[in-house]
Amino acid sequence: MSDFQWTDAAAVDEVPTDDVVGMQVDGRDIALYKVDGQIYATDNVCTHGHARLCEGFLEGHEIECPLHQGKFDVRNGKPTCAPVTEAIRSYPVKIDAGRVFLSLD
Amino acid sequence: MDDTSAVFPQQIRWEDKGTSRIPFMAYTDADQHRRELERLFYRGHWCYVGLEAEIPEVGDFKRTVIGERSVIMVRDAEDSISVVENVCAHRGMQFCRERHGNRKAGGFTCPYHQWNYSLGGDLQGVPFRRGVKQDGKVNGGMPADFKPADHGLNKLEVATRGGVVFASFDAEVESLEDFMGPEILGYFDRLFNGRKLTILGYNRQRIPGNWKLMQENIKDPYHPGLLHTWFVTFGLWRADNKSELKMDRHHRHAAMISTRGASGKADQVTQVSSFKESMKLNDDRFLDIVPEPWWRGPTAVMMTLFPSVIFQQQVNSVSTRHIQPSGPGAFDFVWTHFGFEDDDDAMTLRRLRQANLFGPAGFVSADDGEVIELSQKGFEQKPFHRTLAELGGREVGDTDHMVTETLIRGMYEYWRKVMEA
Repeated sequence: MSDFQWTDAAAVDEVPTDDVVGMQVDGRDIALYKVDGQIYATDNVCTHGHARLCEGFLEGHEIECPLHQGKFDVRNGKPTCAPVTEAIRSYPVKIDAGRVFLSLD
Repeated sequence: MDDTSAVFPQQIRWEDKGTSRIPFMAYTDADQHRRELERLFYRGHWCYVGLEAEIPEVGDFKRTVIGERSVIMVRDAEDSISVVENVCAHRGMQFCRERHGNRKAGGFTCPYHQWNYSLGGDLQGVPFRRGVKQDGKVNGGMPADFKPADHGLNKLEVATRGGVVFASFDAEVESLEDFMGPEILGYFDRLFNGRKLTILGYNRQRIPGNWKLMQENIKDPYHPGLLHTWFVTFGLWRADNKSELKMDRHHRHAAMISTRGASGKADQVTQVSSFKESMKLNDDRFLDIVPEPWWRGPTAVMMTLFPSVIFQQQVNSVSTRHIQPSGPGAFDFVWTHFGFEDDDDAMTLRRLRQANLFGPAGFVSADDGEVIELSQKGFEQKPFHRTLAELGGREVGDTDHMVTETLIRGMYEYWRKVMEA
């Protein structure tokens, strides 16, 4: 873990409980999720249609795209429901002093 | 009855029970055209949509037409082809505008509201189904009982044989093999004998005439030697060629089979005065004809599969010709020139060169499209009248010669049976 370059993304309080929020981090479009107190991060743009997942609906660990109802597991980015077939990228998360840090490399 | 109604009859009228005198109104009336679309193109018949070789990879599609309904032929899996109607379930838009493409990634998406369908036509999802989040509340969205499974694209019946793809809107349609019948199936299998096809190219032309005239034209062996004088001059067509005309049991499909005279020209009887043995081509590669084993004799077999397609073998040139009506007075005619996977480069070039003989810019002298246009003009100016198709008699039956219009009479026998039912 010590090899990771950590980038400050947001305050922990900015991530709503059991919901999703979109952020620009280092010029990237990132979605942050909080499920059972854990924070997860993935790319924000769906791999199917061109839509932001932060405008979609989080159910447990699954984020549903608002455009065509494809779903991804926010823990690893894997597709869980048609029409999505390609994973979105997920990022390692570290919490330090009330801030959310991401490893973007 | 006043003069007007004498020129413009209310109803189509046949002179008798036969079909040797075809009313001009069969080609001009809009109501009847709609009835033809319904009874001939949309019900009870298989229509041509394309060749498997046009969509080799998963996700490849081709937009085409059955009658006047836009459809998409798509390879939805390695070994499966779907045909879906090009009408979005949401607002009815013809969402697919490209003629060809690949949609492996993402399926089909209507641009209007981005409704998204799988390659096989299942609705995958719709934007804002669950509404749009704003300031902690969710606005709009589809009703809770909205089921994507109920709103797929219209999926057609599909049949493939020998690399040729047919589709039907009619779930009750008979098998493709029964539809063709054994006689026609034999000639179909002769051409599409299981070898993979290769696509050489397309011709497209809009012909301002009724679609049936193209079927009739390829059921009419009377005209080639008289209209297409180039064929006669260079020995591709002679009225005394060894030939046969065959039909399916309904007389709707037909094959015109002919074998070019192989004997020396001197002992042949010249039936048509424009046969000029002394004329030579500057570039005779157009007639560099090489017999192929699969011909098993005939040098030309022209098949009419009613109502949508013609399959052509004229010596080494092979093609499909797709009839796409557009109202009673016009149709698009789309030629797909193909070859076979085992053709060498010389054969491919030969097929391409010989393809120049046909079509709107071909060497056949006046193209069929030109005379069809002028027939249509004649029909429109005199809708109370009728054509005369009595060469070879007034009855219908297979023949062992070309001097007959029996195939046209046969087609109208079937047409009357279906249209007057």
